[in-house]
Amino acid sequence: MPEIHVVRKDNRSLYEKYFDRYHRLRHDIYVKQRKWMALDRPDGREIDQFDTEDAVYLFCIDNGQLIGSMRAVPTLLPTLMSEIFPYLNLRGPIRRPDVYELSRVFVVPEWRGEHAGPRIDMLLLTAIMEYGISIGLTGFSIVLETWWLPRFEKCGWRARPLGVPHMMDGMSVLAVLVDCDDTTWKSQCTQIGLTRPTLTWRGLESVNRQALPDIFLHLPRVAQQAQ
Amino acid sequence: MQVIDAYWGRRALDYVDAIEASKTSASVLSQFEKVIADLGFHAFIMAGVPAHGQSLQQTMLANGWPQEWFDMYAREQFHRCDPIPRHCLSTLNPFAWSEVPYDPVSDPQAHVVMTRAKDFRLNEGFCVPIHYDDAVGAVSLAGEDPNLAPDARGALHLISIFTHSRLRALARAAASGQNRRLSRIEAEVLSWAARGKTAWETARILGVSERNVRWHLEEAQRKLATKNKTSTVATALVNGEITI
Repeated sequence: MPEIHVVRKDNRSLYEKYFDRYHRLRHDIYVKQRKWMALDRPDGREIDQFDTEDAVYLFCIDNGQLIGSMRAVPTLLPTLMSEIFPYLNLRGPIRRPDVYELSRVFVVPEWRGEHAGPRIDMLLLTAIMEYGISIGLTGFSIVLETWWLPRFEKCGWRARPLGVPHMMDGMSVLAVLVDCDDTTWKSQCTQIGLTRPTLTWRGLESVNRQALPDIFLHLPRVAQQAQ
Repeated sequence: MQVIDAYWGRRALDYVDAIEASKTSASVLSQFEKVIADLGFHAFIMAGVPAHGQSLQQTMLANGWPQEWFDMYAREQFHRCDPIPRHCLSTLNPFAWSEVPYDPVSDPQAHVVMTRAKDFRLNEGFCVPIHYDDAVGAVSLAGEDPNLAPDARGALHLISIFTHSRLRALARAAASGQNRRLSRIEAEVLSWAARGKTAWETARILGVSERNVRWHLEEAQRKLATKNKTSTVATALVNGEITI
């Protein structure tokens, strides 16, 4: 199964070799495929002002290949929502140590959809919840394409809207705040069949982490009664 | 970026907070009817987009159409030629009914649906497609002269997706308290899945479309609160809703 690695300033040197491909993948996906031309750069690498040393990345790696990723930025620092899309948030700015903002969530095309093992998008959504619980976060803010919301609901994420959807380059986008808690993580693990944590914390042994709850795979209700 | 008056945005946010706290579908729907009425809509429907061979009733989540219109729509099988649900399959974004392209000459049936709707004061509408991996649904609202300004559209979009999601969650919670809850066709599709048939094969056996089969699997999964096809089949077997 692909591994999900936590990459941040304290262990970035171990993952430096992935970053060139990481930024090229972002360019392929966001500029070439999705046509977000404001992000275009002549060197074919998509990097923005939120790729600071305080950004945290989840790298999904299969056999040494980067196949998916997600970025989390502390809301105490400038974020997409605070700097680029403040009008998407009508409830007032979020600047809290216990909330990170997620962005640049992607899976390379050949790993999208069904294959052996959990879906990579679901794996990433589960892994970031595990990361949040581990470092004591209570929520994630996200600017996302609105049509994704029913999928959030299906995978157990509770998303509270911060404003109304706006059309942006022909696509409806929305700002939400998602709860980060044990219940959500456990429900996601059950859904994708994980019985233990997924994150790899290489080079981060000194990070103080909170304990994760136990995961139990539940039998169907009626089967339990029959026992 | 245009500056948009946030009145409807705030109304929509207050509405979402209120329905998240509501415990019954009836309560959610009465709040929904009130907020859309303030935007000039007097009718709505929330349903899956019926595939070929599938009736609208089979995919219904909530029905707020005028009774006579719904009866006619079902009797005449308007869903087969209605350009609105058809358009949901090709877009991720909400749209006004009047923005949906169809040619009255080459597609006279579509023109009939859109014209007859006006007999029920459904002159203009707003439709929000809801996309899942295997199925497409929609929330469609209509009225005589509804508010479709940009701020109203954003509010309607938000209101529609959160209402749809809340009703599904409440239906799921209610269903888990019952014993038998699959429709005959859902049980039939699951029985074939239990015998190892793929959605495509089941579609061939039952003479319906593959998308139709996938919709029934998705609905069975929702009703049984299971996570995938295998667990849906297993739960339905254990519950005695299907046999092999």
